[in-house]
Amino acid sequence: MTEQPFSWNPLNYLPAAASGRYRRLCRSLLVIMILITIIPVLITASLSFFQYRRLLQEETYMNAHWSAENSRQMIETFIEKLRAAILVVSDAYTFPELAQQERLDQVFVKLKAYHRGLVDLSVIGPDGVQKAYAGPYNLAGKDYSAVSWYTEALSRRLFVSEVFLGYRNIPHFVVTVSRPTTGGSWLLRASIDAKTLDEFLASVDSDLTEDLFLVTEQGVLQTTSRYHGTIHDQFPISHLPKKGRTVLLEQEQNDAPILRALGRIQGTPWVLVLDQPGYQHKKNWLAFKGQLWMIVIGCAVICGLIVIRIAVYLTNRIRTADEARQTALSQAEHTNKLASIGRLAAGVAHEINNPLAIINEKTGLMQDLLAMHPDFSGRDKFNQQLKAILAAVTRTKAITHRLLGFSRRMDSTLDLVRINELILEVLDFLEKEAIYRNITLDLNLDRQLPVIQGDQGQLQQVLLNIINNAFDAIGEDGKLSIVTSSSQDEVKIAISDDGAGMPPEVVKQIFEPFFTTKSGIASGKEREGTGLGLFIVYGIVKKLGGDIQVNSAVGSGSTFTLTFPVAHEQSEEHHGRH
Amino acid sequence: MAGTKIMIVDDESEFAATLAERLELRGLEVITADCGEQAIANVREGWNPDVVLLDLKMPGLDGLETLELIKNHDPSIEVIILTGHGSVASGINGMKRGVFDYLMKPVDLGELLGKLDQAVKKRRAGQ
Repeated sequence: MTEQPFSWNPLNYLPAAASGRYRRLCRSLLVIMILITIIPVLITASLSFFQYRRLLQEETYMNAHWSAENSRQMIETFIEKLRAAILVVSDAYTFPELAQQERLDQVFVKLKAYHRGLVDLSVIGPDGVQKAYAGPYNLAGKDYSAVSWYTEALSRRLFVSEVFLGYRNIPHFVVTVSRPTTGGSWLLRASIDAKTLDEFLASVDSDLTEDLFLVTEQGVLQTTSRYHGTIHDQFPISHLPKKGRTVLLEQEQNDAPILRALGRIQGTPWVLVLDQPGYQHKKNWLAFKGQLWMIVIGCAVICGLIVIRIAVYLTNRIRTADEARQTALSQAEHTNKLASIGRLAAGVAHEINNPLAIINEKTGLMQDLLAMHPDFSGRDKFNQQLKAILAAVTRTKAITHRLLGFSRRMDSTLDLVRINELILEVLDFLEKEAIYRNITLDLNLDRQLPVIQGDQGQLQQVLLNIINNAFDAIGEDGKLSIVTSSSQDEVKIAISDDGAGMPPEVVKQIFEPFFTTKSGIASGKEREGTGLGLFIVYGIVKKLGGDIQVNSAVGSGSTFTLTFPVAHEQSEEHHGRH
Repeated sequence: MAGTKIMIVDDESEFAATLAERLELRGLEVITADCGEQAIANVREGWNPDVVLLDLKMPGLDGLETLELIKNHDPSIEVIILTGHGSVASGINGMKRGVFDYLMKPVDLGELLGKLDQAVKKRRAGQ
């Protein structure tokens, strides 16, 4: 089975007959209304997006700044306490006192009790040789005169070194106090294990923190970093902050945005680095983005569906209104045509009536003269000819009078008409003829038939013309049935005969003026047609807002169905009177 | 009906003359006028008809104006409108101004004689 690709087009909801003009209209409405509805949604969503992002960004910056400051201050306090402690020791004791091993051991034991991470304590003489050492390593008598930190330590009163391996070959850093003595300066040195710094940083690390470590200004790692390696590995440092300041940088790390805070630790060669994931990773940002998308897509779908419905509905309404206007125009045109025909007919009838009157009178005079001369040899023949002329005059007179009647019917007075009573009145006229022709009348009249608005005389003529035609179609021995019925808005009159019926080509033309199937001479029928009866019927019915339909087949008779609008305001009153 | 005086007022003189001859053959005294002015002149000169057969559309004075002048001169003269230009409005106007009847051309002579007879009877009854 071949799978059909799915395609949906709202224009398919327009009726098949809708022309390109309405499809274009529908399309334009769709585009305009979609723009009108979607643009505000997109503007609102964008504003929310940028506003919330700004808030989150600010919050993330503040968090990073606060965490970095906090960590920096804690390390500074830790180092400051240690420096203060050895400063006090160096003030309290002289160089010779501290150079005594027992004294140094006592001081070391006391200091270690209060200072976490303190590994050893030593006194270095002005010659750079370690005079006394208290600690776990065997470093007594070591010469530091050639070591880089020693020179730097001598030049400052208080000094904190970078992390280095030293004679013990274990990462540590030293805090020294230099004091003058005979022959130069001596140093009191405290060593702290680098692991202590790692533990310290781990203690201030939080869920928000991605990475927290110390580096030198040259980018040498002083503690272990989660992403950048271990002690003494190189870290690409940039944007060194000024003393006492924390700088914040947005960076990319492993293709993910992070926020980096850098702060110098005063009195040390270290820079604190704190990495935090960007706001983009925050749960509430991801949830917000998801909800925003759902709202935008939801709105778009709902707006789209509503807009399609409205566009199709409006297009259909416009099309219906256009069609109604077109119908009204056609009807107006038809009415106008009927009125023009009416005026023309009246003019023709007037013009014909005068010469016809002369023919009539001349013929009559000839008959009078013949009557006065009974011995005239061609009298009978003449009389015969004159009668034929008079018959033609009578026939023409019937035509002109009907034409005048038609033109007169173009201006009528409207009244409330009870169709059932009207039918009975018309049948009164024709009853004798029906008996004479042996035509059975079958009436089925709805007793609850509402009244209609119309001209009594005109409606009489309508019924008379149709029933007369039916009689002519039946000839003799047949049945004529009249059925009246009603719906909420219409009254229906169906007049059926079981006469000869008509072929479709005749049915098409029966409402045309001067079309007739009744030729007295050709068919031998009593009445000759003027071809105006049904034309007049059609004009009257249409003028009263009604309609006329014909169903006919040769050999099975014809049915004329008349429908008229119910006169609603008066119908209840009418029922009440019955 | 003998001795009844009829005036036919019609611009179609052929029609008026023929109808006049036919009525004369039936013993009526008939005069014709081919316009309203002549009809008024006839009446004013003393030719006093019992019934006037009056066309509506004529050059000069039209049928309704002529009717008004005749009725002004002698309200007892009966007027029958006999016209090819029949319209409901003109018929109603005529009736309002005292027309006896309204007939459409061409008219059957028997029907016309009947109307004339009725009109004459009405006039004589009035006198």
